[in-house]
Amino acid sequence: MKKTIASFVGKGAAYAVMGLFALMTIYPVIWLLVNSFKSTADYMVDKVGLPHDWILSNYVGAWTLGTFGTLIGNSVLYTVVGAAGIIFFSVLAGFGFAKIKNRATGPIYGSFVLGILLSITSLMVPLFLEVSQIDKVLGDFFHMLGVMKAEDFHLFYNTRFGMILIYIGSGLPMSIYLCTEYLKSVPDSLIEAARIDGAGYFTTFWRIILPMSTPIATTVAVITVPNLWNEFALINIIVSDNDLKSLPLGILRFSGSMSTDYGKQFAALVIGMAPMLLFYIAFRKQITKGVSGGAVKG
Amino acid sequence: MVLPLRNKAETSRAYWAFVTPAFVLYLLVFAFPIVLSVVLSLSNYNGGKMFGGEPWTIVGFQQFEKLAGDPNFWLALKNNLYIVLISVFGQIPLGFLLAYLIYRKIVKWGEGWQAILYIPAIISVIVLGIMWKLVFASNGLLADMMNGMETNAFTAALNHVLAGGFNVTDDFVRQLVSIADPKALQTFANPIPDLKDLILTGGYDAAHLDIFRHDMVNLLAPKWTPDFLSQQDVAMIPIMFVTLWCWTGMYLILFHANMQKIDSQIIEAARIDGATEFQVMKNIIVPNLSGVIANAAILCIAGSLNTFALIWAMTEGGPMNVTQVLAIYMYQNAFIGAPNFPLANAVSLSIVAFSFVLIGVTLFIERKMGGKVE
Repeated sequence: MKKTIASFVGKGAAYAVMGLFALMTIYPVIWLLVNSFKSTADYMVDKVGLPHDWILSNYVGAWTLGTFGTLIGNSVLYTVVGAAGIIFFSVLAGFGFAKIKNRATGPIYGSFVLGILLSITSLMVPLFLEVSQIDKVLGDFFHMLGVMKAEDFHLFYNTRFGMILIYIGSGLPMSIYLCTEYLKSVPDSLIEAARIDGAGYFTTFWRIILPMSTPIATTVAVITVPNLWNEFALINIIVSDNDLKSLPLGILRFSGSMSTDYGKQFAALVIGMAPMLLFYIAFRKQITKGVSGGAVKG
Repeated sequence: MVLPLRNKAETSRAYWAFVTPAFVLYLLVFAFPIVLSVVLSLSNYNGGKMFGGEPWTIVGFQQFEKLAGDPNFWLALKNNLYIVLISVFGQIPLGFLLAYLIYRKIVKWGEGWQAILYIPAIISVIVLGIMWKLVFASNGLLADMMNGMETNAFTAALNHVLAGGFNVTDDFVRQLVSIADPKALQTFANPIPDLKDLILTGGYDAAHLDIFRHDMVNLLAPKWTPDFLSQQDVAMIPIMFVTLWCWTGMYLILFHANMQKIDSQIIEAARIDGATEFQVMKNIIVPNLSGVIANAAILCIAGSLNTFALIWAMTEGGPMNVTQVLAIYMYQNAFIGAPNFPLANAVSLSIVAFSFVLIGVTLFIERKMGGKVE
């Protein structure tokens, strides 16, 4: 009898803890959503309740002011091309590391695994200097050839190409680790059979390895897509042109100069979180599986 | 090994063709910047062209000495360690506990709880940072809620006083003073006569008590102005709270998935033998997950030492640097005002060094603990 009371109290406490956490998670998100339909004046009077009048003009205003069409287009480009690049180069290198014997595998693969522990944020200053100096050196070279003015040349700094290459590089350590460990489990006999049939390494890669990598590619994709979509620190310093910026940079603009226009700010925040919320709803199972592998840095 | 080595040259060519693209990108993004930061942190490079511009040379460890002597650096380091501590000793144990509640079916709807608690981890920290800034601001949601409660409490007390009728006597004013916020009374030199004067000259009458009530609430009710994010000693608290809020769900999912790999028969047997839930957790689950916990701690340290965007969105490291962390300190030295690239690179190296030291400590502890468990 005593035991049942204790376990009843314990269960109550467990539900209380869980419920409190869930409430604290979900309430601010709903609060954002509700306030995005209030006018700024309405918000100033009542921050907690439902809107006096439900209005959509915040969204219209925020969308044009924030040029969210352009920003979302850029974010999609950076995310899709970046994730595709990460997956392709990781499966490629993973095939090399896992299935082709070479003495270089130890040090090179080892350096990738070590790279998992390096956060790109801590390297943002030297990375910025590196890419902007490469641009300057190449610019001087083209200037010497008389092709263009040195200042006009940008390969990495403030270009989509440079940003995507940097994103691919920054995602590689973790995904190469995942892909290599995955490909180690592919039976050698499959690859041998293809080789006996006369397929070269590249044919083997295209015909066998790449199709077989779909499960691990999915895992890498569901982890990488939110990371790239939400990335802020690097694009904040590598890109200065408004037409090349991504969604998080656009959202931050609203909290600076337009910080007192609460209505539009809330709408901007909802625009900022909606795409990843939809992505989460669509791929929750796969995301949970990917996170379970411990492949996320928080 | 694996593949029949029909042609050594072909095999080697294929290997390098597969590995080189990734390795070049890795060198570009990780290896060269580290080398560059070593060189620049010891130099007197001050922006401009690195090659063919103003000449610069290696000058030694000046920047590191400067760092050691800068109180702002130590403040940033201290704040950053708070973030590391709340991450390692907050997110991980809490995530573990919540995972255990779901795993042992102490609470129902495990899937649902997990789905909800992971939401913050998927949303941009810029969005979340601004959102929490709006919550914690001096005129934000939290202040509004607290003031709403204060107002309600004061109105109730005021109604109690008014129940005796609206007669502006000394006794009536004394009752008002007794329910008022002491801070609000500080504006009066002599609260009782001054307040009485104010009420009498205000032209209030018993027929319009609403106006009287409204004015008294404005004048005398306690005001809750937290302004967390701009006060020296407490500014880190909201940031630590949000850090905990943001990532706990991720560790919940990580631990829960790995708990499911444990043979449940062992647990059932232990429960039948009379082990409590706490004993099961301590003696079966934790030892089985020690490797996962150590990995989580390592990634957690690496991530939290580099925390940047969340704090940037919430406070930009301000006001007056009180919420500065290492990455923001580095950013400000490199990109705001007159750049000091050698100093910023010294910070960059310091962050990398701190990560490896803390990760080494974690591995050491795990090995020791793991040894005990076996």
